Amino acid sequence: MWISILGLLLGISLGLLTDIQIPPEYASYLSIAVLASLDTLFGGIRAHLQQVYDDKVFVSGFFFNIVLAAGLAFLGVHLGVDLYLAAIFAFGVRLFQNIAVIRRILLAKWAEKKKLGEAN
Amino acid sequence: MKKRITGRFTVILFVIGFMTATQYNTVNTDDSRDSRDTWEIRQQLSREKQLHSELLSEISLLDETLGKYSDEATQDPEAVLKETVEDLRISAGLSQMSGPGIELEISPSLEAIALGTEITEIPPDLLIRLVNEINRFDGIELAIAGERVINTTAIRDINGYTTVNTEPISTPPFVITITATSMEEARKLSSYLTASAIHDDFYIDDLTITISEPQEELTLPAFDEEINIDHLQAEEGE
Repeated sequence: MWISILGLLLGISLGLLTDIQIPPEYASYLSIAVLASLDTLFGGIRAHLQQVYDDKVFVSGFFFNIVLAAGLAFLGVHLGVDLYLAAIFAFGVRLFQNIAVIRRILLAKWAEKKKLGEAN
Repeated sequence: MKKRITGRFTVILFVIGFMTATQYNTVNTDDSRDSRDTWEIRQQLSREKQLHSELLSEISLLDETLGKYSDEATQDPEAVLKETVEDLRISAGLSQMSGPGIELEISPSLEAIALGTEITEIPPDLLIRLVNEINRFDGIELAIAGERVINTTAIRDINGYTTVNTEPISTPPFVITITATSMEEARKLSSYLTASAIHDDFYIDDLTITISEPQEELTLPAFDEEINIDHLQAEEGE
């Protein structure tokens, strides 16, 4: 777990230190990609906690969601329909759901542990 | 198995972190950075100071006129008004004007004459370039081939003829008359134009500019048409 957080910190610091910027007109694509990746990440954590984690699903979901979200936003720009809002909505709702499930599982685990401690 | 999952999560989190940081960089860019050095800032300052002093002198001139109005209002208001109207006519270019200045003669180049090249009209772009070059000097008035150039003058192509104030000007040679505020200014303008790169631009079109010696007295004709002020509106005064 700690190695994963180290990876996150490494990514953030690399991004900030290299000072890479993308053109402002593509900023919306990147923001939606970030959202999609966060969604996949929390989905993965939830699946892991529910013991249904699958490597292939996780990795393919990560890249596929990003490409789909960016593609939808791109299509929306060219059709004059704000399709990226649909992506933001879908990912946002799923993000909250996933986090809620994770919270419940953790709470249940914590309660179980406490019970075991009392029993001993 | 556990190790592999951690590895996957690490890579994914690394990508997320990198994307987030890039997004942060993009959103929080401060693009209006002042990269001027001290010298450029000093130049800007001196320009602003010059503008300031120009505005101050204009204010004092207007104050003077206002003072005159209130002083002479009881005695002879008509004379003061006439004087103001005359001043305004001069600054608008509606009256004849004379003063020290120089004359530019635009003529076909010697090579063009020797080779027998057909002499064509001066292109409007080139003429505009010359006028802009001359207008770098303050207090300059000019007339192109007897057509007075005022603020609203258009130099353009109408049906294949180069026109000034919608009057076609003749094929070269023709004369551009310029008056300056003083003999010294006229001399400065003359040497500036002598050294200017505009000669090269004219040479491409087989034309040459001959700059006369500064003369004490040159006369510019008045602008003889009606000034089109359809789009001007009086501002509500306080």
